[in-house]
Amino acid sequence: MRKLFRSIALLFLLSPGYSPAAETPLRFVTWKSETAQMWDQPIADFEKQNPGLKIIREIGPQSSTQLHDLITQKLKNRDTEMDVFVMDVIWPAEFASAGWALPLDRFFALAEQKQFLDAPILANRYRGQIFGVPLFVDAGLLYYRKDLLEKYRIPPPRTWPELVQAAKTILAQEKDPQLVGFSGQFKQYEGLICNMMEYILSNGGNLWDDQKLVSTLNQPAALAAVRFVRDHIIGEIAHRGVLAYEEPESLVLFTEGKAIFHRNWPYAWSVANDSRSSKIAGKIGMMPLPFFPGGKGAAALGGWQLAISRFSKKSELAWRFVSFMTSHAMQKRVTLSTGRAPARAALYTDREVLDQLPQLGSLWETFKQAVPRPTTPVYVPLSNIMQRYFSSVLALPDTNIDKRAALAARDMDRVLDLVREAPAP
Amino acid sequence: MRSSHRLAFLFLLPSLIFVGLFAFYPIFESFRLSFYRSILTLPWLGQKMVGWENYTDLWTDPVAAQSLRTTVFFVVTTIPLELGIGLGMALVMNEVFRGRGLLRAIVLIPWAIPTVVSSQMWRFIFNDRYGLFNFVLFGGDASRYLAPLADPILAPLTIIVAEVWKTAPFVALIVLAGLQTIPDELYEAASIDGATVWQQFRHVTLPLIRPALLLALLFRTIDALRVFDLVFVMTQGGPADATNVLSFYGYKKIFAEGMVGYGSAIAVGVFLVSLILSLVYLQILKSSRLERTPR
Repeated sequence: MRKLFRSIALLFLLSPGYSPAAETPLRFVTWKSETAQMWDQPIADFEKQNPGLKIIREIGPQSSTQLHDLITQKLKNRDTEMDVFVMDVIWPAEFASAGWALPLDRFFALAEQKQFLDAPILANRYRGQIFGVPLFVDAGLLYYRKDLLEKYRIPPPRTWPELVQAAKTILAQEKDPQLVGFSGQFKQYEGLICNMMEYILSNGGNLWDDQKLVSTLNQPAALAAVRFVRDHIIGEIAHRGVLAYEEPESLVLFTEGKAIFHRNWPYAWSVANDSRSSKIAGKIGMMPLPFFPGGKGAAALGGWQLAISRFSKKSELAWRFVSFMTSHAMQKRVTLSTGRAPARAALYTDREVLDQLPQLGSLWETFKQAVPRPTTPVYVPLSNIMQRYFSSVLALPDTNIDKRAALAARDMDRVLDLVREAPAP
Repeated sequence: MRSSHRLAFLFLLPSLIFVGLFAFYPIFESFRLSFYRSILTLPWLGQKMVGWENYTDLWTDPVAAQSLRTTVFFVVTTIPLELGIGLGMALVMNEVFRGRGLLRAIVLIPWAIPTVVSSQMWRFIFNDRYGLFNFVLFGGDASRYLAPLADPILAPLTIIVAEVWKTAPFVALIVLAGLQTIPDELYEAASIDGATVWQQFRHVTLPLIRPALLLALLFRTIDALRVFDLVFVMTQGGPADATNVLSFYGYKKIFAEGMVGYGSAIAVGVFLVSLILSLVYLQILKSSRLERTPR
């Protein structure tokens, strides 16, 4: 169908009277940003510096899952139109294995890679090659109502049980029927994996063993973490509505002043502190996520990369755009104007950046320890199995966690067996 | 005679090509792919012919089984509601009263709104904190608010409500067309014979709109079996897979996971079920004694 439209469009273009522009177009597929500073201004600058190049921006859905469907659809069809695209931190292995993303090693030297944070570089590697350049990083963080904690003289909680206790104490005394103790993302979607892996990893467990390629969801540490979330968070300090929440809904609850604790990515800091959109501006604190006694905190790594399509016929020009967008100067500017966390390590010690965004300094440790979801070309099927498992045991309180976990682990092992057969690179 | 046949064929040719290209080819291709193991993200595995393996997997896949149950539940709950409400709407719209034209137009609005838009609207209505649903039920008492989209029992019901709201007008439209073919004399004769309104409805109206009802039933069943967009926008299959209907499951397998072979097997399954049901319905329609077209 698209081909049909395209050929019709082509007919119009080729009809007499149309004079072709002298500009070379580069098509960039990305998500929409509320602020012009994110894409509009950098792109205008790039075009100014590179006369003759024109960036055609194609806006995709904001949800990572739906953007994935759009971009993979183009790549499956070997679309030569798309040159550069944004890539979620979980996609590189899949795109590399499928032969969709161009290996960037000849452009992106090892010395240059060292300028970036380790975790996102690791996430962009697959079998010794690099497939994307990190643009921003994200990591799970705990936000809390500083005013409420101070009112009841409760220190910010270091462990999950402390958090539950703190929330219960405040809820009991505030007696506000609208107030909840915690809001996070527990809908059956990718964000559920990020949230749940933070509990599991901070209890010493894991989602699966990357070396042996077997699921570890039915190990005691993982089971205990999941059981904790079901018994002490969902329906206890968080209302059951969180089972349908993605980031925006859970954040609104927090910015409306209706949640004491909130788990989200770094962008929530500037939203929650903006008095135009938030009722709790200036009343919040931000800290690394809690852990279970005996474990250590683990934040899920998120973030976005730029990648070049293997089917682009202008990879050299595409690289010019990618390297411009991820350059030190440009990352600094975008960081300063949007507050998003940059992928370049040097910016976390930059005076000017720290003066304007003091919270970045405190994020540094979290980012350094952020854990990427394991890289594998079968990430999406594994994620769907885990989403099903987590959502089922959280939404159906009577299900047997051990049994469900065993089933999920069996399904995951079957999928992981597929990559066992992978040939040597 | 022959040349007119040829001309007719020539006239038909463009639509034949179109249907062949855009209907038969994809169906054929889905059939073919369903016999292969083809995983887009693992190209080194190649496209291996695996015979019936995808189908035997599908048969024993508990997720697919639950998905089928969810889909069937959706079909058998939405259709009686749609037919009942649609019939009621049509009967009202068939009466002569002031503002009838306006009412007919208004009633069709839900059907005219693109489903993605109306599902987004329903998602807001069923939102647990600021949705209209809770407000109507409980007013300002937030402690009693329900979270329909987060509840494995209520979530399928929200989808059903949205579907019925959208498609009852469609049923009404078809039934109304049927109602308008009934000549007034029949009602006159019936009332002269002393039939009550209910008897008129039972013995004149209902038998005469049977073909229209069957047609609506056919369209709605096939459509409901393939429900996708409501789920895609409102719940993404959750919570706990409670709204993971077959089309959405197949979509996720092919488009998100890249499991082309297995996803195609699911698609073929949905296709076969709707094909068989359509054939059954068509048979009923044909044997319907009121379809008076023996020639």
